[in-house]
Amino acid sequence: MNQDRLDIRPDIRLDLSRRAFLGRGFAGLGAVALPALFGRDLFAAPDDRWRGVVNPTHHPAKAKRVIFLYQAGGPSHLETFDHKPKLAAMHGKPMPESFTKGQQIAQLQGKELICFGPQFGFKQAGQAGQEVCTLFPEIAGITDEVCVIRSMWGEQINHDPAHTLMNTGSIITGRPSMGSWLLYGLGAEAEDLPGFVVFMSSGRGGQNQPIAMRQWSAGFLPSKFQGVKLNSVGDPVLYIQNPPGVGAETQRGSIEAVNRLNRLQYDAVKDPEILTRVAQYELAFKMQTSVPDLTDMSREPKHVLEMYGASPGDGSFASNCLLARRLAERGVRFIQLYHRDWDHHSGIPQNLPLKAQEVDRPTAALIKDLKQRGMLDETLVIWGGEFGRTPMSQGSNGRDHHIKGFSYMLAGGGIKGGTSYGATDDLGYAAVEHPVSVHDLHATMLHLLGINHLRLAVKFQGIDARLTNVSGEVVKAILA
Amino acid sequence: MKTINFHLKASLLVAAALLAGRGASADDRARVSFNRDIRPIFSDTCFRCHGPDKNARQANLRLDLREEAMRKTRSGVTPIVPGKPEESEIIARVFSTNQYEVMPPPAAHKDLTARQKELIRQWVAEGAQYEGHWAYQPLKRPPVPEPGAAHPVDAFVRARLAREGLAPSPGADRRTLIRRVTLDLTGLPPAPTEVEAFVADRAPDAYEKLVDRLLASPGYAEKQAMHWLDAVRYADTAGFHGDNALPAWPYRDYVLRAFRDNQPFDQFTREQLAGDLLPGATDAQRVASAYNRLNRSSNEGGIQPREYLAKYAADRVRTTSAVWLGATMGCAECHDHKFDPFLAKDFYSMKAFFADIKETGLVPDRGRNSFVPKLALPSAEQERRLGELTQALDEAERELEARAEARGARRAEWEKQVLEWHRSGRLDWRFQRPVVARAARGARLTIYNDRALVVTQYRGGSLVTERITGGGLVVADGPNPENETYTVSFRPGAGSWAALGLEVVQDESLPGDRFARGADRFVLTEAEAELREGGRARKLAFALATTDGFGEQIENAAAAAIDGDARTGWGVGYGDGRNVFLALRFAQKLETRAGSTITVRLRQDSALRKATIGRFRLALSSAEYAWPDHAARTDKPLRGLPADVLKALESPPEERTEEQQKALLAHFKWMTPEFQPLVARVARLQAERDRLEAGIPRVVVTQSTEPAETRVLARGNFLDESGEVVEPAIPVVFGRVGAPERRASRLDLADWIVSPDNPLTARVFVNRAWRQFFGTGLSKVLDDLGSQGEWPTHLELLDWLAAEFVRPEWRSDGTHEWDVKHLVRTIVTSETYQQSSLGDARLNERDPDNRLLARQSRFRVDAEVVRDLALAVSGLLVEQFGGPSVKPYQPEGYLGALNFPKRDYSAGRGADLYRRGLYTHWQRTFLHPSLMTFDAPSREECTVNRVNSNTPLQALVLLNDPIYVEAARVFAQNILREGGPTLEARIGWAFARALGRPPGPEERRVLADLYRASLDQFRRDPVGAARLLGVGDAPRPKDVPPADLAAMTTLARAIFNLHETITRN
Repeated sequence: MNQDRLDIRPDIRLDLSRRAFLGRGFAGLGAVALPALFGRDLFAAPDDRWRGVVNPTHHPAKAKRVIFLYQAGGPSHLETFDHKPKLAAMHGKPMPESFTKGQQIAQLQGKELICFGPQFGFKQAGQAGQEVCTLFPEIAGITDEVCVIRSMWGEQINHDPAHTLMNTGSIITGRPSMGSWLLYGLGAEAEDLPGFVVFMSSGRGGQNQPIAMRQWSAGFLPSKFQGVKLNSVGDPVLYIQNPPGVGAETQRGSIEAVNRLNRLQYDAVKDPEILTRVAQYELAFKMQTSVPDLTDMSREPKHVLEMYGASPGDGSFASNCLLARRLAERGVRFIQLYHRDWDHHSGIPQNLPLKAQEVDRPTAALIKDLKQRGMLDETLVIWGGEFGRTPMSQGSNGRDHHIKGFSYMLAGGGIKGGTSYGATDDLGYAAVEHPVSVHDLHATMLHLLGINHLRLAVKFQGIDARLTNVSGEVVKAILA
Repeated sequence: MKTINFHLKASLLVAAALLAGRGASADDRARVSFNRDIRPIFSDTCFRCHGPDKNARQANLRLDLREEAMRKTRSGVTPIVPGKPEESEIIARVFSTNQYEVMPPPAAHKDLTARQKELIRQWVAEGAQYEGHWAYQPLKRPPVPEPGAAHPVDAFVRARLAREGLAPSPGADRRTLIRRVTLDLTGLPPAPTEVEAFVADRAPDAYEKLVDRLLASPGYAEKQAMHWLDAVRYADTAGFHGDNALPAWPYRDYVLRAFRDNQPFDQFTREQLAGDLLPGATDAQRVASAYNRLNRSSNEGGIQPREYLAKYAADRVRTTSAVWLGATMGCAECHDHKFDPFLAKDFYSMKAFFADIKETGLVPDRGRNSFVPKLALPSAEQERRLGELTQALDEAERELEARAEARGARRAEWEKQVLEWHRSGRLDWRFQRPVVARAARGARLTIYNDRALVVTQYRGGSLVTERITGGGLVVADGPNPENETYTVSFRPGAGSWAALGLEVVQDESLPGDRFARGADRFVLTEAEAELREGGRARKLAFALATTDGFGEQIENAAAAAIDGDARTGWGVGYGDGRNVFLALRFAQKLETRAGSTITVRLRQDSALRKATIGRFRLALSSAEYAWPDHAARTDKPLRGLPADVLKALESPPEERTEEQQKALLAHFKWMTPEFQPLVARVARLQAERDRLEAGIPRVVVTQSTEPAETRVLARGNFLDESGEVVEPAIPVVFGRVGAPERRASRLDLADWIVSPDNPLTARVFVNRAWRQFFGTGLSKVLDDLGSQGEWPTHLELLDWLAAEFVRPEWRSDGTHEWDVKHLVRTIVTSETYQQSSLGDARLNERDPDNRLLARQSRFRVDAEVVRDLALAVSGLLVEQFGGPSVKPYQPEGYLGALNFPKRDYSAGRGADLYRRGLYTHWQRTFLHPSLMTFDAPSREECTVNRVNSNTPLQALVLLNDPIYVEAARVFAQNILREGGPTLEARIGWAFARALGRPPGPEERRVLADLYRASLDQFRRDPVGAARLLGVGDAPRPKDVPPADLAAMTTLARAIFNLHETITRN
């Protein structure tokens, strides 16, 4: 491992044997020897899986892992979690200039700004009486588990940079994504799976904005911390299948021969990097079994499939939610599900219900499922997108991108359920009460995992680069 | 203005402080050196609050300037009293145990170690001498430690080793050495004959001859280009949003030629930053100026141009300062630099150099006007043919124009008639109900006449999913062969027909902008039709192919679908959610009866793999002049008239706009029977010219225009226009460029970058070059030679090499200033470079990262070279210098998250599959997964220091990526053919080819066992053997038993997967 760009602080580095750092490809992939397969001492590698630089944690952790249900495209807060009766009253009237003057807008530049009332009703739900749009009856059923932040705000009004900000805390490419930071900080419990996994699903009724792989990049951290995209249709991991015609026996024999030869080379030159390579081949072989196993949902009971609304192999958000639970059970640290096409520049009345249908039940099912398995307490579930949408109409029935105020939902992992936090103004335009920035969200997430966001830093281009950049406050009020 | 003056004054003070003083001599170990020992501590722990950034400064104290640090503060204490640590407040503070007094404060999490505290105390005791930062000192050639030393590089390295009590390692054995130097200089392995020749050549200059041969090879330029392209973030796509193709590869070829021809680096610099401004700029120099256009750009609707212009410009400042100055100026976009003497104003003054670049915030990324300005680079032949075609087309159009003019009198009557035809439905297209639909090569075609199906299509920017009745829709699914022919028959009943229509129907389930089953578009290479009546078949010829041009690729005009040429075809790759429609006019009208069958064959034989149509309908029209209108929905009737023409016809003549009149005239020409031969001729010429145009290389270039106003943006906020307006200027700390009476230009910037007044460029370049040959720079933070960078391990060596680079004095025959090849030769001819990489246990313990250079380093080769190695060893490599980027195999569906347009990857063919890695189409948002897995950067930003990881995903690539499987198979073919008669000989031959050395006995045994076991398995599993050998496009031999070849392929795969194979040591 070449560390030129990565300056581990000496005090931290002391804690790590060189090999441990050089070691595993997937952080946290334990080097479990396979004596049965490979002969006795071929892989007599110590357990040198990556245990993270924040070890022990800065303070006791509430959550062990994160499932981020990323609603890409920018869901309308006004038709999900932010009830604005006054906006309904203003429907069709000009948006008061006091709200919008000098503010950045996207496609509505130079257009007349007209108030566009919420297109669906809201209902109070749960013991706490949280207000949730009627499009989300299942989520309404679990509101006592969740905290809704209604005062998020962002800095980037176009999808690509906004995704980059939400994922990496910076709009400049090359910074690690939040999953990579967590993996770098904490390692993973997973033995034979990547510690940071990404899924993607598309649905109906929106606009499938592209999502670049930079969103799960490890940036300047070593690439072993990058997210691995698991494809829910086709090969789950790229190149996971043996070449055509090559059976398990031949593949195993080949890997065994490669490692024997690598061992001979190690004996001759004593380069520890060779041992690392040996271990990586062993892990690769293990993954060839474990990954297809993981994504094979055929043995999930029917009632579980029904609870999520998943049909195995369909690549839907529902199936991915179920896969997320399976990954959580296996100790994956950060699981991110992108669900695309929330970009409703038009057709809110027709299209939003379609998206709601796709995510309502699986989201609620995941939270319930985690709870019944006793895992919700230690799993932080986050639901939200890269920004919200304007209270003003675009065209006859759409909404434009909006960064001044939008909603996020959090559950489990040390979050105070049945609460809401912050507020936008009467028209749902700007976060006015307890505004929460992207960095605040990150700081809070790290806090719940036992990390002080100020202390998880890596020297890059001369500065102590952090997920929270130079700001970020833990939102204490939403902690259980 | 007050603030500004303060800034200027402060920065000049910094400048004075940094530029004054001497660099620390490496010899005085006992004394504390500010630069070596103290600056790193201060920079990391103090400057943030007590450094150059006045907005962040605490207690009005700065420690980066000696005068300031010695001044009594308001609270009456003196931070530093030289020679008197006990009176110095900073000493009291750093040693304090009081949590409210100790510095740095606990909240900063920057606790000093006992050793660091002691160093600071000693430094104050010794007089608290400051030194200018090493990298900002004027570059002077240091004396070589041992005058008369055989090689200065060795003299510097050994002087340090001697001080450390270490000795250099012995020279590497010759096999290792030739493999090392060949990989380092060319990125390719040596051929076995080259290895043997070098082993046998005992002449004293054998190694130098080898180096000269390698430096003269094209591989040298390719290897150097790889590193440079990382730095300047060269890629083949835009990087934001749709991430569509950016025409940039001629710039890559410029870089290749520059390294091949050993262009002086100063000129290379000038041409990239300001090639367009050079007097009498040549095409090559303008191509070089593409450097300024390699930033990512966006075509996302709804972006604010000013915001993106700010992003593009900031990117240029970051890249330029990192590539040439080793400076992290990006930090100063929002605030004064925290550690280095760069003010926010400096950032914007640098940005102002680029303010003359002609560009838009929203950059169209498809079609003829994408990424303008571009430079066309036609060959002489292309230019000649283009002239011919343009002339012929002009003549045909003029003739048509004249004839239309002559017929002007009949226009009114025509207009009346057309409107009446339209209203009566005479121009309508009648969709047909197929009775049979078959695909020739495995795809499954399903007919939906009355049956309903679910479709998902864009309507007004949103996806709409609905159930519709098919109305004659044919849907292709199932196997997805690379080429396909669809044959569809229908019975139109009795009628009279003049034209056949093909509607290609979009659906969200399809890539190729929702039209095709693969690739980025569909390509219909030939449409054919026949009429069958009573057992007799008659071919139906077409006279004219027309579309409304919507979404067409210029190389895929409609006329190509009926030109009888299987290499050309009609294709559509982007649009806005509408279906596209091709109208094919029959050469002769035809009559059908009740039992007549029309059979249509859609041949899709494009070189572009999987560019096949996903969903379509067929239609007939009785009118010869039914216009190929397009629709968003399958249930909307097509009325055979363009919308604008209809609108014009429905308006009184005097109210028609100029556009409407034009549209009317064009339609009049298209519809008038007498003009048809001419109309067909124009269409044919147009298609041919477009195709030729599409084949002419184009490249983005810099075009200078009236400079945009550049303001300092407070905290980088583009909405804030209150900041000071700035002129182009280099950072104040470095002085001024240009003449006072005129605005400084990019050329002034470039001239300064390579002038002796700039202390950085040569050091930055040399330091980066060093990494190529030792794995780590002499200062390991390659993109930051500033305060937060690393004190070089061998400062004098770095400076000596930099001086030698700029003006060769050592073995300077045949060299020139800024001579890159001379620099490289100087490094690799040293004994330090030629040492063995095997350190003993003591050395590995003492210097695990090999910073002292008592041995060579061992490291994995770069991503592209991993590929190149396998291709070269197997014999598959196609060595072709430059040219358009190529598309190797890539997993299906990998681009599934891309959109606008939705697309799929289509691997190239033939030679394109076997080119070196550096020619791979560099898709920024989804880089080829094998390159990415081996740490190739996405090139969204400047990268001068790739990480080098070792992961299980790398194992999966080498084991299972089809190119490595195919390379193993072809390698196996060669082993069997040329490796000798016995397994023993073959293993030896294969090993030598891949590793440049013979295998040891144990290694032989492992490989022989593997081969035998595999042979056994494949003899039992002939199907498996056939499938394995079927991977890849390279031809397969017929005369080798499949099990033998498959088993040898297994052996070859094992060799490709060895750590040693992908390691240079």
